[in-house]
Amino acid sequence: MSKISAAVVMVMIVAVTLASAETSSFGDGVSLADSVAISTLLSDPDAYVGQKVRIDGVITGVCKKRGCWMQVTDPETGQGVRIKVDDGVMVFPYESMGHKASAEGIFEAIELTPEQVAARAKNAGHSHGADGTCEKGTGAKAGCDAPVHEDTIYLIRGTGAVIQS
Amino acid sequence: MRLRKLVIATHRDVGYLLAGMTVLYAISGVAVNHIDDWNPNYVLKSDTVIVGELDDGPRFELAEDVLARMGVDEEPREVVRMSPGQLKIFLDGRTLTVELPSGNVHDEVFRRRYVFFETNYLHLNRGKGIWTWIADLYAVGLALLACTGIFIITGKKGLGGRGLVLLLIGLTIPLAYLVWKL
Repeated sequence: MSKISAAVVMVMIVAVTLASAETSSFGDGVSLADSVAISTLLSDPDAYVGQKVRIDGVITGVCKKRGCWMQVTDPETGQGVRIKVDDGVMVFPYESMGHKASAEGIFEAIELTPEQVAARAKNAGHSHGADGTCEKGTGAKAGCDAPVHEDTIYLIRGTGAVIQS
Repeated sequence: MRLRKLVIATHRDVGYLLAGMTVLYAISGVAVNHIDDWNPNYVLKSDTVIVGELDDGPRFELAEDVLARMGVDEEPREVVRMSPGQLKIFLDGRTLTVELPSGNVHDEVFRRRYVFFETNYLHLNRGKGIWTWIADLYAVGLALLACTGIFIITGKKGLGGRGLVLLLIGLTIPLAYLVWKL
């Protein structure tokens, strides 16, 4: 029995050690050595579409219910890019809000339909924005309240991320 | 006869082994089924506070001013200038979104939903890695429970009567739903 107790204690110690690690890795983690400044990415987005990029910044928004996206923002400029993943592939924890993160994936452009533009305009300033909630039927598939540049959402289809504790 | 004994023993032991995990998965199953109606992972509460007009300045100084006016004695984890008119202050389990210069603050407090967060973490296999294998073994165990369970009782209450009827009803429900929906 004492051996079992010792084993249980060992497992708990390992679990606590892992839980208190300084960084959490998601998906494939981060493999690119250099990051692209978010301001650079958004100043000429079409130059990066289709490329694998890495960005560094602060997490300023996370999908509340499913953890299926997070917004990584440059704290100085406020410019941000959304990292979108398929439900369940990676789940970004809501408590990572305000943590520093590196994320990488394929940079994509999604052109909004006129209906999606109208829906976003209709919802601008109430449930979106401050709390980042996506309401039903407001173009959640297209990024919902992700930043838009001339009716186009630029986002990173995430392959991995590392979040600092 | 020896086979029946083995079936019963297997069902009993696997049943004991998987009982706890089945209850956990059942709780999470109901919770995530209704994800459109509630947040099964986090409890979020928000409020709006007005702290008064704020002078512009460096983001951390602005944050210090807002926190002082709100009586919050906590070092922010991070402060981000989202736009010229908006500042976000990140605290532990709390996010303040400050509109500038009006001083309107959207105050959101969040925490993990006890029990549900943990059960969802397991059920939705958020940890990946070794839990994928454990969940696979659990699924095999459930199949074993089902397959041994139908052979435990013989006669009219088993597959020779009522058991068969219930078994067919159980199969018909998902099949009928699929025929209806697809």
